[in-house]
Amino acid sequence: MDHWQYLLVLAACLAITAPLEFFGAGVYRQAWRTAAAVLPVAAVFVAWDAIAVAVHIWTYNPRYVTGWELPGRLPIEELLFFVVIPLCGLLTYSAVDAILARLRRVRTRAAPRS
Amino acid sequence: MTGLGYTIPAIVAVLAVCVMEFVVLRTGLFRRAAYWIAMVIVLAFQIPVDGWLTKLSAPIVIYDDRHTSGVRFPFDIPVEDFLFGWAMVTAVLLLWKRRRLRDRGKNLS
Repeated sequence: MDHWQYLLVLAACLAITAPLEFFGAGVYRQAWRTAAAVLPVAAVFVAWDAIAVAVHIWTYNPRYVTGWELPGRLPIEELLFFVVIPLCGLLTYSAVDAILARLRRVRTRAAPRS
Repeated sequence: MTGLGYTIPAIVAVLAVCVMEFVVLRTGLFRRAAYWIAMVIVLAFQIPVDGWLTKLSAPIVIYDDRHTSGVRFPFDIPVEDFLFGWAMVTAVLLLWKRRRLRDRGKNLS
């Protein structure tokens, strides 16, 4: 069970943020726009990560990862990390933005006409 | 504790993201209340998640202390992780905003 720990942490992040999809125009519903924002950044961070692992700046505890690896000895969990965490960030921003816009609309409507 | 391996690249990443916004993309993201509120929420969730990944009693990610500042706060989180996380999430939001601005420009023309 320990080997699933990192994957389960990422799954929990996705599960907790999933409802935020319904506040704004959507992150998952705009899959191309999301991919165009997430993937270029993920590519840079995966490269950084691979270098850091190669020169032992940080490593992953074999006990808590599945053992499935990408070239460069990068755990598959790391690749997912660079997709999952930005998705959580996008969902959060998108939801906050939508809620603020709704509040502004309500306030404008409530303002007395002069 | 040279900090060369992680501290310096983390600072460079933050600076690179600032250059990306102020010189290249100019999305205006940093002037939006929604961005800063979202960042506070992201930070609040980063602490338990990152805290779990880096806890010294059973770490998922193991850092070579010679490459960090050695400052771990809160819990056992290397402070560099906050720069790393901020740079990653903000870079994604900048690209997201840029796309939206471009789309809007297309609609207007």
